Amino acid sequence: MPYPAKLNQIIELFESLPNAEKRESLISYAESAMRQAPKDGETFDLEDIRKDEECTDSVGVFLKISPSSRGCTFRVTLGPQVQTLTKAMTSILCKGLDGLTPEEVIEVPADFVPKIVGADLVRQRSQTVYYILTRMKGITKVWLNRERSARQHV
Amino acid sequence: MIDKNYAHPDALVTTQWVAEHLSDPGLRLIESNEDILLYDTGHIQGAVHIDWRADLQDETIRDYITVERFSALCERHGISNNTTVVFYGDKSNWWACYALWVFRLFGHTKVKIMDGGREKWISEGRHLTKAVPHFVHGHYTPPCEKRRDEEIRAFYEQALAQSREGRPLIDVRSPGEFRGEMTHMPEYPQEGVLRGGHIPGAASVPWKMAVAEDATFKSYEELRTIYEDEAGLKRGDDVIAYCRIGERSSHTWFVLTYLLGYKNVRNYDGSWTEWGNRVGAPIEKG
Repeated sequence: MPYPAKLNQIIELFESLPNAEKRESLISYAESAMRQAPKDGETFDLEDIRKDEECTDSVGVFLKISPSSRGCTFRVTLGPQVQTLTKAMTSILCKGLDGLTPEEVIEVPADFVPKIVGADLVRQRSQTVYYILTRMKGITKVWLNRERSARQHV
Repeated sequence: MIDKNYAHPDALVTTQWVAEHLSDPGLRLIESNEDILLYDTGHIQGAVHIDWRADLQDETIRDYITVERFSALCERHGISNNTTVVFYGDKSNWWACYALWVFRLFGHTKVKIMDGGREKWISEGRHLTKAVPHFVHGHYTPPCEKRRDEEIRAFYEQALAQSREGRPLIDVRSPGEFRGEMTHMPEYPQEGVLRGGHIPGAASVPWKMAVAEDATFKSYEELRTIYEDEAGLKRGDDVIAYCRIGERSSHTWFVLTYLLGYKNVRNYDGSWTEWGNRVGAPIEKG
């Protein structure tokens, strides 16, 4: 299955980089993770802030869906203990999934992660690199269920 | 050096001591973390990075690297036989203690831990750099022909014998893991273990009992109370510590060996990911 265009651009960039530059780019994305937090005055359709038992710190996922295009905008807040790879993936996903419809977000396959991160960095102890995508899909599913439910009641 | 009445106070140094010895040519700082990219985000000036998985473990077999590869690793980082290696890292020094333990497997005894690890260094507002240091290759002659597994490492059969003979086994995992209520660490994903519980006869002493709020080790007297008065260990005991994959138990191995001065402590690095998956291994719950 083809990846969404914006995400695909990021994947192709990472695939073209040697390992050292790949790491540098991941650090750069990780350092911009804080900029993915909600901006002053932004409002959202759904907010999901929690600390799961399997995660080192709390993660907040915020979703806004454009009424006209049904395009998704994600914002994410991360606790300070979140791992660097997870921070990097937060920035990558906020950019890569921006503007997709909820249905398209749900369909994004997770197999792009090793292409970006590099297989040697995806290991047992760094499986939380998949966590942000799971949370984004989760909140999107909730939105879709609510939309479906609202339609049935009209 | 830290004076909290430890058995081997020279095995532990303060962040201030490290700051004052950054230019010491006979010393090498090693950062070892769980967060694979943390070193790249900034580290102590002059520190090199050792990855517990990529650098210390064999890629194919669940085991450590060979003596030859260890020597090459040291030489690459400018470490010679007489270099004093100071380890520090994230997670209250779990992986620093693990790396130190692996260095000891290869007979390198000039080793220290920076008390409080990376968290303490950062909390004190000390400088980090992204500059990766390069050192002239060291000259490393392996102190031993093969790893000293028999001295400080335990395997399944030895842990089983320890259990059957009623000798001390220390389970350093969280209470929920010990009781068999969960098969992963709190705050971590499942690491592929099929059964929960603990090795029969093991005492539960979570690794965290040994550290204070600021990630530094507790004093000798506090540690003695925890491990001897409460857990029942005695001087001269032959002790085996275990967790899930051997890193938290390296932390406890360091405490028992260097801070309390126990002479016969082994780390069972196969730990629960071996025991809890092994067909027929006896398990106790609750």
